[in-house]
Amino acid sequence: MKALLICEYREKTLLATSYELAAFAEKLGAEVAMILIGDDGALPRIDGKLYLAQAAQYGEYNPELHKRIVLQAVERENPDYLVFAHSSYGWDLAPRVAAALKVGQISEIVGIADGAFEVGICNAKLRRTVSPRGSRAVLTIQVGAFTPAGEATGSPLVEKIDLPETASALQFVGYEQAEKKAVDLTKAEIIVSAGRGVGKKDNVQVIAALAKALGGELGASRPVVDAGWVEHSHQVGTTGQTVSPKLYVACGISGAIQHLAGMKKSDFVVAINKDKDAPIGEVSDVLVVADVLQFVPVLTARLQ
Amino acid sequence: MDYTREIYWNIGHGVVLPMYLLSFAAMAMLAWGFWKRLPIYRQGKALDRFDRFDERVKRTVAEIFGQVKVARVRGGGLPHSMFFWGFLTLFAGTLLVMIQADFFTPVLRVNLLAGRFYLAFSLVLDLAGLLALVMLAALFSRRFITKPAGLESTDQDYIVHQLLFAILVSGFLIEGARMAASELTQNPGLARFSPVGYLVARLFTSFDPDSIRTTHKVLWWLHFALVLGFFAAIPYCKLRHIVTTTLNAFFAPLEPKGTLATINLEDESVEQFGAATIADLTWKDLFDADACTSCSRCQDRCPAAATDKPLSPMKLIQQIGAVAESAPGASLTEAIGEEAVWACTTCRACQEICPANNEHVNKILELRRNLTLMEGAFPGDEVRSAVSNIEVNANPFGLAFAGRGDWAEGLPVTVMADGAEVDILYFVGCYASFDKRNREIARSFIKICAAAGVRVGILGKEEKCCGEPVRKLGNEYLYQQLAGENIELIEGYGVKRIVTTCPHCFNALGRDYRDLGLDLPVEHYSSYLHRLIETGELQLSAQAEPFHFTYHDSCYIGRYMDIIEEPRAVLARAGGRVREMEQSRYDSFCCSAGGGRILAEEKTGTKISEARVKMALETGSPLIVSNCPFCLTMFEDGIKTGGAEGELSVRDLAEIVAERLA
Amino acid sequence: MKLLICIKQVPDMESRFKVGAGGSWYDETDLAWRMNEYDEYAVEQAVQLKEQLADAPELTVLSIGPDRVLEPVKKALAMGCDRGVHVQDAAAAHKDPWQIASIIAAYARDKGFDLILTGMQSQDRGSAQVGVLVAEQLGIPCSTTMVGFAYDNGTITAKRELEGGLKGVVKLTTPALLTCQLGLNVPRYPTLPNIMKAKKKEVAAIAVADLLKELELTGTASVYQPPKRGGGIVLEGDFAAMADRLLGILKEKTAVVR
Repeated sequence: MKALLICEYREKTLLATSYELAAFAEKLGAEVAMILIGDDGALPRIDGKLYLAQAAQYGEYNPELHKRIVLQAVERENPDYLVFAHSSYGWDLAPRVAAALKVGQISEIVGIADGAFEVGICNAKLRRTVSPRGSRAVLTIQVGAFTPAGEATGSPLVEKIDLPETASALQFVGYEQAEKKAVDLTKAEIIVSAGRGVGKKDNVQVIAALAKALGGELGASRPVVDAGWVEHSHQVGTTGQTVSPKLYVACGISGAIQHLAGMKKSDFVVAINKDKDAPIGEVSDVLVVADVLQFVPVLTARLQ
Repeated sequence: MDYTREIYWNIGHGVVLPMYLLSFAAMAMLAWGFWKRLPIYRQGKALDRFDRFDERVKRTVAEIFGQVKVARVRGGGLPHSMFFWGFLTLFAGTLLVMIQADFFTPVLRVNLLAGRFYLAFSLVLDLAGLLALVMLAALFSRRFITKPAGLESTDQDYIVHQLLFAILVSGFLIEGARMAASELTQNPGLARFSPVGYLVARLFTSFDPDSIRTTHKVLWWLHFALVLGFFAAIPYCKLRHIVTTTLNAFFAPLEPKGTLATINLEDESVEQFGAATIADLTWKDLFDADACTSCSRCQDRCPAAATDKPLSPMKLIQQIGAVAESAPGASLTEAIGEEAVWACTTCRACQEICPANNEHVNKILELRRNLTLMEGAFPGDEVRSAVSNIEVNANPFGLAFAGRGDWAEGLPVTVMADGAEVDILYFVGCYASFDKRNREIARSFIKICAAAGVRVGILGKEEKCCGEPVRKLGNEYLYQQLAGENIELIEGYGVKRIVTTCPHCFNALGRDYRDLGLDLPVEHYSSYLHRLIETGELQLSAQAEPFHFTYHDSCYIGRYMDIIEEPRAVLARAGGRVREMEQSRYDSFCCSAGGGRILAEEKTGTKISEARVKMALETGSPLIVSNCPFCLTMFEDGIKTGGAEGELSVRDLAEIVAERLA
Repeated sequence: MKLLICIKQVPDMESRFKVGAGGSWYDETDLAWRMNEYDEYAVEQAVQLKEQLADAPELTVLSIGPDRVLEPVKKALAMGCDRGVHVQDAAAAHKDPWQIASIIAAYARDKGFDLILTGMQSQDRGSAQVGVLVAEQLGIPCSTTMVGFAYDNGTITAKRELEGGLKGVVKLTTPALLTCQLGLNVPRYPTLPNIMKAKKKEVAAIAVADLLKELELTGTASVYQPPKRGGGIVLEGDFAAMADRLLGILKEKTAVVR
């Protein structure tokens, strides 16, 4: 079977998700072709035919034009699967392609099982396997669910692709950079939170160091904020921010109900606490039974 | 010599007509002064505070003449009460003289003011006058020299004090002059019975008789003018409280404490919910401002004011009065400040202590109703989320309602839906159902009931939040929705008696739900357990060692429901030795979580819970015992953030009792 | 000006989910229901636009499902929508995004809506397809993941939320469809007078069979509980060993640690 991978390009850079598409195709055991609206200087290092259209001409974001370009590639390649990343680019473009081809789309795939695709529903509390009714399908894969094995060393075979005309009802005006503001934990992918177990204000830096080493944000439980050890915008909980990061590390947090309510949606929870019976244990995937101040520096050192 | 006095001695009976005319004029000014205020009160909505007339009269007489509420606070209260009794006695005495002169003598030809009676009369009045004078001096010194914090004084206060001094002093001077001229030497037996007058009379002994008479006449007219001035001034200054505070004792509510009007949501003609302007408050709300004497007792006890929140119950009353008088169309929330409106914990300390029977709390609740129901406003995003959670899952935590009964797994409790017979329905409440620390209360309560042989049923996942916190935040709609669902369930199961471990559920089910049709006995477990102990159904065994503790009277149990001694009795039976905080019983200091504020963050000032923890620490007790899940939660927090960990721990009454079952 | 707001009723995500009988969706007993959070932003934006244009636009809110979906419809009416449409379908949960989109498109096709707003995805299924599919089926331009909205005389300027805090700005003209992301605005809490007024607003009922002509393009093979969590791994002992073990687990189980 053949999979057409729709790579992503933004701010003149090829996005790394393109390699995740390849990893998925490999897992599927599918032959790979690619399509990219980008530029010659930023090609994915993946073996296979690459249909290339110039972003300078068709825009970095113009789903109407991009759809037509993809459809051209579909006509030439006749793939079984069209694979997008489930990203702001992918979930915007994929349904348009699916509608035009009148094929089913399966969104945010996390696994493959016996020819059907696994997706999560209800905040990943349940899983569903879905299969397309026809022989062709549009697929979007969850970012981070399929990780490339190692360094990408392929070289694509480029074939130009163009549209006869570029009229479109949508006009892309430009980008707006993220504003530098106080912490918005709701968008963070990794949060390391400090709780009362850190003991005093001076010790918060131990936790902050771990957050930095993991490339995440510093969070805090309410008593820590109330005590003035950490500023309020870091607070996680019902009276702070409700977060849903991919990784949440709770350091010295017992797991009062108000805090749990604010971080229960995290994908993966690690708790570090002296108390084996702390309520946080009920929502943790891993509970490290240790004194926060002793264990965290050891962990941080390993990350650096 | 006769024990009597010539009335109008030296003044002459010719004075009677002008005296009555002038008095009439002064009284007319008094009446007119109050009459002019009526349109201000009338701007408010109608309210019947004239029902149960006899009860109201009795209460007014007891409160005003007994000075019960005033005397409760020793500092300024006792001097005021004694001043009041002194001044009142003088007034009564003067009235009696007037009636004697102008009615008894000419019409009935009877002289009451003679003989033994007159001796007693003279003595009593003299002592009353002296008492009034001394107490006035005490009050003056308190206000102008000691200057207690919170007590603001204006020029008006100064003038009123001078006026009262002048009246009292001139009265004694008149007496002294009269006695010097007509009693001192002529009727010493009588003179002795006016000790103060006797002493003052000695001042005049060096005067010649004519000078005494002249002085007496001048003083008499001066005194008369001052008294008329006093009466005429009443409506225009703080002295108005003589009338308004007395009336407020009459107008005070007869409903159970904490009663809040249940809005008729079926009435489609209602366009305004809650109070946006003074026209939405009742006439009584506007009258309260006139009854207020700025004594500051409410402000002194307000937990929000004590921790630097922008709320002052005293200022609230006065701001409403100011708006009613000068800017009736103005927005009340703007005049008072939205943050101040949200800062109230509805602890009722203000209303409980107010000697003028002002009703602070419901005004705030009406303002909140306007904010919530008409503007969709919240004190913070965290409250918005909690309310949304209550709407979806019937608890503020946003936890799945299906897990509400999970705490009871493995315990001898029946879920009502399973149909078994029970003795009581235990209405658990959101915190005891879901919060780890508070589940201990629920488990302890079940353990106690099992020991007492009481069969307990719970609604389990069918139970909804009682709605009290959202009601206190102004959301009458959501409250009635929740209440309606709970009532339907409770009635559907044929429940006979309800017991709850949360004071807020207790107030809601036991009082507020009556307006919505629930009519069952509802008890708070502290009095329920007390009853079981008294009847012997529950046996406690105090352990070998007594435990030392201080007891926190939860606002909604103590002040709201007058349950003060039962929890203490239970704890004593359990072997506890109490060391009371200074602010205990009806003077208890809030934990901060009432008025729906359990759902909110304290963002301004210092923490109320830490302030209370400090008070507990001051008793030297290692343990503070409460009987409310909000108090328990706030004290656990306050102990941690206030740095008292290791010094003080908090436990619930149920936990203590459950550990000491026989 | 006519707006259509498409909303979905979803279970509260705090509920415990069990596999439903039939194994193709979740069991509906003991679930608390609410308006899909993403759709709340769509309703609010529509009401704000109505206020901006001095109440001229007419707002229609539509939902598909059994009678319980009338609750979020009523809430949308209480927030400010003018009328409701209830597409009655007891088995709405078993229709795939293509079918759902076709139902909406069939309803909207001849109504001349200038703007269609909906959430970018539903909290339960989360396929993020229906909005875009409706636009494609109606042949109108659309954009997704909107966190900023401005309307001026037929032109919409939308800010899309991209990854890493970046935003992309697009312009399109009506008729158009936009899907809304969390944080687009602050959905208002309905005031009591508006809740009362909403009780009188018209809600038209349409049988789904009148609108559905499409077959499904995907089907659910099975629904199951994912591997158990909470009661997870407990590590004790030597710190260095635990740190190594923990990092190993993180690299394996999460995509964010490498």
